[in-house]
Amino acid sequence: MIRIFLFIFCGAGLLACSSVSKIVVVNEQITIDNYSVNNSSIDSIILPYRTELNKEMKEVIAVSEVDFLVSRPCGNLNNWVTDVLLNSQIKNMKSDEPIFCLINTGGIRSTINKGEVTLGDFYKVMPFDNLIVWVKMPISSLVEIESYLKSTGGEPIAGALFQNGKLVINGMNEQSNYFWIVTSDYLFNGGDKMTFFKQNLEFKVTDVLMRNALISGAKEQRILIQDTTNRIFF
Amino acid sequence: MDRRKFIRTTALVSGGMIISTSAFSQSNSILKTKKITILHTNDTHSNIDPFPLNHAKYPDKGGVARRFDLIQKIRSQEEHVLLLDAGDIFQGTPYFNKFGGVLEMKLMTALGYDAATLGNHDFDGGMDGFLKAKQFGLFPFLCSNYNFENTVLDAQTQRNTIFQKGNVKIGVFGIGVELKGLVPDDKFKETKYIDPIEIANQQALELKNSGCDLIICLSHLGYEYTTDKISDRILAKKTKNVHLIIGGHTHTFLEKPTEEINLEGNLVLINQVGWGGINLGRIDFEFETKLFSKKEVLIIEKQNL
Repeated sequence: MIRIFLFIFCGAGLLACSSVSKIVVVNEQITIDNYSVNNSSIDSIILPYRTELNKEMKEVIAVSEVDFLVSRPCGNLNNWVTDVLLNSQIKNMKSDEPIFCLINTGGIRSTINKGEVTLGDFYKVMPFDNLIVWVKMPISSLVEIESYLKSTGGEPIAGALFQNGKLVINGMNEQSNYFWIVTSDYLFNGGDKMTFFKQNLEFKVTDVLMRNALISGAKEQRILIQDTTNRIFF
Repeated sequence: MDRRKFIRTTALVSGGMIISTSAFSQSNSILKTKKITILHTNDTHSNIDPFPLNHAKYPDKGGVARRFDLIQKIRSQEEHVLLLDAGDIFQGTPYFNKFGGVLEMKLMTALGYDAATLGNHDFDGGMDGFLKAKQFGLFPFLCSNYNFENTVLDAQTQRNTIFQKGNVKIGVFGIGVELKGLVPDDKFKETKYIDPIEIANQQALELKNSGCDLIICLSHLGYEYTTDKISDRILAKKTKNVHLIIGGHTHTFLEKPTEEINLEGNLVLINQVGWGGINLGRIDFEFETKLFSKKEVLIIEKQNL
């Protein structure tokens, strides 16, 4: 009934307006879902590439019991990615120097879906060939980092909390005059306008791809560990 | 007195595309004049296969073969169809990491894309990488505000192009986002970025002077920002002679095209369909006049339920 009514309404509207309207614009945002696909031509183009890719990319790396989502200011995927990156760098290190991980929300490109997590999924989460970088920053740079986090609405962090406009970094005390940030070479080089990295005292570009650190971390966890803690409060 | 000069009618049509299209064309026969169907995508990001069934947000959505199916169905129903993409074709699945964008270009060619613009991620393989993949893309890349003169992309793109469809002349030009701070410097090298508003005005005027009835800007600026950063909404307001902006970059899922009023008081539509090839945008224009003043335009939304 509703459908018929709307058709009539639509038709009446058109007739009523036709005398004044000279350009008719009709819009539809069409969702692509399980349409019947009967075009072998397209699939035959994809098939050799898909076959080659799947040999490698279907390898199951871990299992996820939940959906991991990226979100602003916080999300369980924001936490998972930064936790794994930070841990990959400091797990074999005995140091009490202040250190935290900071990346960009836009750099986490996909969800991790509940179920088996494959190698290909990590290419979707982190498709870029970005390297992990250590950056030593002076305490004076905190102001600019804090104002950046405020202006963007928060970015993924681990090893720190952002509370009421202030960054509280693990291991930092009143005597500290510097801290380390674990991040990507893309951001270190000014990507996403993180220009505060120019204030660095020292930096070290590792040879570890962020994606590979995530894959290794996932392999170790086997069942991905979820942390839903809110790390950013405004 | 109500001064709104155009009337919006929303037709909630369920039950699939074929039903809705036929219902529409029956009621619309009196206006049957010159009809142009614009189909468009943006930020497909190397999503070749449909999203997996267990995807947290878009289970079983998208897929290039299905998109082709849908496009072919529309082509069988409509005489004058243009298929456009607003950039960020690359990066997002291992298809790009492993094959460098070659498959994306082959598929867009097979789907019959008429033109595309460059997104920032189309530089992710460097300009050499783009060029290597582009040889498999048999459609023009449009970009008017990147000056590639001192780069390998010199003369590989064009500022605009004109399509003649029946009696209607359609001009399309491309606008890209500022690459500095978004793309590593060594990936766009000496590419010079030119102010989008100035160039868009020039391009639109040039196309108008060439007799175009419909002028489309393929933009990768992004839909809107909380800052005063240039976006499609700002571009629409600060230009003239542009009728439709097909946008990208911000992965914005619009329910319907946004209406803005340009410098001359005429209507500009902005549309964007999210990302990943989940949605296909469709905008049909039926002309009895070339005038895009607000009172001449009737906008009808159909919702795909």
